[in-house]
Formats: sequence, structure tokens, C-alpha cells
Amino acid sequence: MPDRRLILCGLVLMSTVLQAAPHDHPEPVVLAPGYSALEFVPPQPGTYQLPPLGSAADGEVLDSSGQSRRLHDYLGDKITVLSFIFTRCNDVNGCPLATFVMKGVQQTVMAVPALKNNVRVVSFSFDPAYDTPEVLRSYGEHFRDPGFDWQFLTTAGDAELAAILDAYGQWVIKDYDSEGNFLGTMSHVLRVYLIDRDKRIRNIYSTSYLHADTLRSDIATLLQETGKP
Amino acid sequence: MMIPRLTRAAALSALALILFAPNALADETCMSPYMAKIVGQEDYIYIWTLGIEGVGDGEDKLVTVDVNPDSESYAQVVHSVSVGGRNEAHHSGLSDDRRYLWASGLDTSKIFIFDVHTDPGKPRLHKTIDDFVAKSGGIVGPHTNYALPGRMLLTGLSNNRDHGGRTGMVEYTNAGEYITTHWMPTDDNLQGAVKSGSYADGYGYDARALPRRNVLVTSSFTGWNNYMMNLGKMMADAEAMKRFGNTVVIWDLHTRKPKKILDVPGAPLEIRCAWGSRSNYCFTSTALTSKIWLIYEDDTGDWHAKAVADIGDASKIPLPVDISISADDNHLWVNTWNDGKVRLYDTTNPHAPTQVFEHQIGEQVNMVSQSWDGERVYFTSSLLANWDKTESTGGDLQYFKLYGWDGEKLSPRFHLDFIELGLGAPHQMRFGAYALYGLTPPARDAAAADAR
Repeated sequence: MPDRRLILCGLVLMSTVLQAAPHDHPEPVVLAPGYSALEFVPPQPGTYQLPPLGSAADGEVLDSSGQSRRLHDYLGDKITVLSFIFTRCNDVNGCPLATFVMKGVQQTVMAVPALKNNVRVVSFSFDPAYDTPEVLRSYGEHFRDPGFDWQFLTTAGDAELAAILDAYGQWVIKDYDSEGNFLGTMSHVLRVYLIDRDKRIRNIYSTSYLHADTLRSDIATLLQETGKP
Repeated sequence: MMIPRLTRAAALSALALILFAPNALADETCMSPYMAKIVGQEDYIYIWTLGIEGVGDGEDKLVTVDVNPDSESYAQVVHSVSVGGRNEAHHSGLSDDRRYLWASGLDTSKIFIFDVHTDPGKPRLHKTIDDFVAKSGGIVGPHTNYALPGRMLLTGLSNNRDHGGRTGMVEYTNAGEYITTHWMPTDDNLQGAVKSGSYADGYGYDARALPRRNVLVTSSFTGWNNYMMNLGKMMADAEAMKRFGNTVVIWDLHTRKPKKILDVPGAPLEIRCAWGSRSNYCFTSTALTSKIWLIYEDDTGDWHAKAVADIGDASKIPLPVDISISADDNHLWVNTWNDGKVRLYDTTNPHAPTQVFEHQIGEQVNMVSQSWDGERVYFTSSLLANWDKTESTGGDLQYFKLYGWDGEKLSPRFHLDFIELGLGAPHQMRFGAYALYGLTPPARDAAAADAR
């Protein structure tokens, strides 16, 4: 049985892909595994290694109140889950998946008092022209529990953004029309980064890999390393 | 960071060509499930080519062939990058964002990382890793270059202690920084894995992931002592012939811990996993026993291996090499190097594949890669420097060939003689396309394309 639906579900391109795809009619999108119950038992925390993948880069950012900050201000004191998104992303298995899973992480952390002060989620926009601090603040209100440390960051412009994306290997292609106008859509490989208290990247997740349950195991594994909690 | 601009045409082309598959595997049908796929017309084939002394510069090289019929340089070698020597060039693989092509050498254990995104028609050598053995703790012969999220997994074939078959897997960041090593489980150290049969040989070869099932599958070939030996000499050496892998290992993908060792006697080589959202199985073929094996998960979540089909007449040593699964999981191309043939199996029932087609490709044939739609099938000839045939009977020894496939027959489109072109012995093929990077291809000559 051809599994075209499965392919379509992985699009991190825009919805127009459905019209452009080589099919007579758009096929229903199959949701990524991160939206459903995990098909396997997540690993027992502390029974496996998460070898460092290098240092998590710094850079100039704006928080959701418009204050100029450093990205490293949000790394080091807690285990941090860093997700690159943009709010206009309308591919269900792209940025919305990342935010959905981050919400799952929030739910897990809030349910375990010992975790609450040791974990932070950062949703970082790569669309600074549209995702102003105000837009991000509004976006965040839809998802963030007031008691949870979930930060929504953007940059002052493309130059600051490019340096950070390059350092994290997060490649993004902007889409333009024939007049050279930005269409507001971007193609990218979804990536979420797990960063430890030494500001080192310890795991990277993409669409087929991202799930709140495995993230929870990885977070707990890192916390066990440092004896917290 | 460069943000390339797209014309409307290029944007539409990109949208029609590229899909990011989350949970699927199909050269385009054998790539990592973490990778964007070219589901339309590919622009280029990148061929990792083994240098032959006296042929051209004699060096290993990445050869780029234009395969887009709309291009003015269709069917031509448009670029070649030599890497300064011979390394036993063998396999290659793209990073998860397809910006870089990793190509490794089985003899020197060097890894060459090519930038294929800045100008897809002119790859350039970006970085060379020359301390793989030391960094990995003694792994020799990097073989499969397999993309995982933000990193590359490299399987080894050998080790630096005895140059035998015991080996492991090595992880690197996409930037080419060493991360960690995972040794294959052996009788001496099962690492918690269940030895389900007679073997726990610790050999390695290929690797493929089924992330939905949290499974990594590895196969087993032979060590440096054998793969660098003259083929005739090795086959006459009874002791050497005992030193081939007989195992497939099922790993926990997330933790990288081996879970179960399956007996698959006779050197299981390439692994190709099904794409179907409920299809929990992979195929491999055994070089020495000439069989297709099914590696599958049962209803209880346990994994098994069983021989499901013969490939030619094993007594004539056809020597199965590369295999390629169709995007719908219903067919499997199987090359046999020694007789130069490709066979097509109907795998609608993966437990009972049946051969439905056979074709003579050349005097020898090794790799087979198909487009996502299955309409184009590419072949290359070379296996290993000291195993390849050298006495040609028909001038068809070292080649790259493209065939069209209509469901019933292979129709030759073009072929390139890599000896005549002074290039060497072509091996692994990977696909490239401008649209992957939001780039506009060079101007097409529509009239020329129509004429073709």
C-alpha cells in the first residue's frame, strides 16, 4: 500500500505543498508521532548516555517584553529545551508539533514539583519581522502555564538571527514570489535541542523523533547526572 | 547565513519536488527517514568513485552527473572533485538537511565531507576527517554514513587491533566532531543483548532505523584483512572464508543499546526497511548464501530473521550486493555482482517474495538506486578495488547507467564508461536537486529537452 500520506505528514513546508504535490487531490495529513501515545516504552532515565554534541551558542535576543538579552541568559541554570519556530508556520507537523510537545513537557514538569525549578523551555522564532515580542507574548499566552518557565524569544533583525541559526545548524529557506516579496512561509528541518547546565547540547530531535515522553526521559537523565532533583 | 531567493517557478518546483518525511525510509528509497526526499526529477547523481592506478589522476573522487533531461548537460559528467589519493572509496550519505555529503574510505578510514548545497552542480570538499581510528577508539573502515537528527552515524567494518571483523558504530555531529563509539555486541560482551542463535560475532556493515519502533538494525560483513585481499586468493583461503559476519543486531535506537542478536548466516549486507506506517520489517541479502532475509517484528514486539527467497543459483556464487526497496514496499531490486544481473522481486507479501523480472546490466554490477516514483533506476559497477573484475570481455566493466522502468521492462537511457572517461570505479550514488536549497537551476533548453 503506497504510503503517500505518511510522506505528506512530514512536510515542514507550507500548506501550498498539498496543492503542488503530485496527487489528484490533497490527501489527509497523518499526524507526527509526537501527537500520539508513544509506540514504545520510553527509556528508563539514567540507564543510558547522552553524550555532548558541542556547546550551545550564544547570541543577541529579545524577550517577549522587548528587552534585549543574551541567549545564554536562558541557558545553564536549568536544563533547557530550545525549539526553533515561527508563529505563522501552518504545517501541523512543523512548528505546531514543536509547540504541542513543549506543552507536553510543561505538563510533565508542572506535575512533578522537584522538576519545576530545574527545567525551562525556550521557543525561539526565526521570523523576527513578523514575530515581534508582542506577537510572541500573545502566542505564548495560548500555551504557557503562568507557573512554568517557558520563554518566547525573537531577535531584533535578520543579522542577529542568522548568527544564531548558523551556530545551531538550523537551516531555513524563505519563500519569495516572482516580485521578490517574502511570502511569509519558510522551509526548514524541524529541530529541537536539549541543553544541559553546562550549556552543552545533549540531544537533537526532529519531526519523527520528537515526543514529550522521550524528552522527559532525557531531561530526567540529565538531572540525575547533576543530582538534581 | 545566506537566505537564497526563490523565483515563483523555483518555489513551485521546490514545493513539488521536496518532501520532508518523518517516519519513512525509500535512494531516494534508501535514505535516512530523518531526511528531506526528492520525489520529483532529480538534477544530479553524486557518485563516490574509487581511483584506479593509471586511469585519469588515479585518485578517489566525487563525480557529479547531470541526470535532468531538461538540462543542456544531461547525461554528462559536469563536475569531479579528487581527494588526493586512494582510500578504498565505498559508501556515502547525506546529512539530515542534505547540505553535506559524507563519503568514506574503507582502507585509510578517512571521511570526506562535501558541500553539496552551495552549488549542487559543483560539490566542493568542505572537510576531511583523518583521525577516525584514533578518535573512535580503534574502529577501522567507516562504511555507512547515515543521518540521524543533527548528527551522522557511521558503521565500521573492522578494528585496528587485528584488522578482523569485530567493529562498532561511531557518531559525529553534522559539523564533523566526534561524539561517541558503540561497539557491536560479542560473545565476550553481549552488552545486555539477547543472543538468540549461534552467533554473536561483533561484525558490522550497514545500519537503518525505524524510529517509530525505536529500532536500529545493523548487518555484518568482514574485516579489513578480507576486504582488502585479492578476491581469488581469499576464496581459496578456507580460514579467511570463515571470517564473515553471520548476524543482524536489533538496537534500541534511542539509547543505542543492543537488544537482540539474530543469526543471519552468510554476510548480510545492505538493509532496506519498509516505508509503510504499519510495516515493521526490513530486508537484507546474504552475499555468501545468496538469499533474501526478512527482519521483522512480531505482534508481541519481538524481532526475528528468516530467509524468504533465493537469489539465483547459490552454487554459482552470484554474490548479491545492493538492494533497493520501492516507495510502496511492493518491490525489491536485487543486484548480483558476479553475474552482472539485476532481479526484481514482488514483495507484496514480505514473507514470500517472488522474482518477477531479471536483466543483464553489465559484466559486473554493484549498486542500484531508484527514484522515489520508481521510474528511473541507476546502476554502478564497482564492489571493491581488489575484488573488481579487471579483464573486460565486452568493455562494460566500470560504468554508470540509467534505465527507465515502466513496470515491465528496463529501457536504457544512457550510460557512461568510467574507464574511458578517466574517472575510475564508480560506487555509491546519492541524489541532488537545486530545489532542496531554494536555488534556481541553470537555464533549461526546452527545445533540446523535447528533442531528447
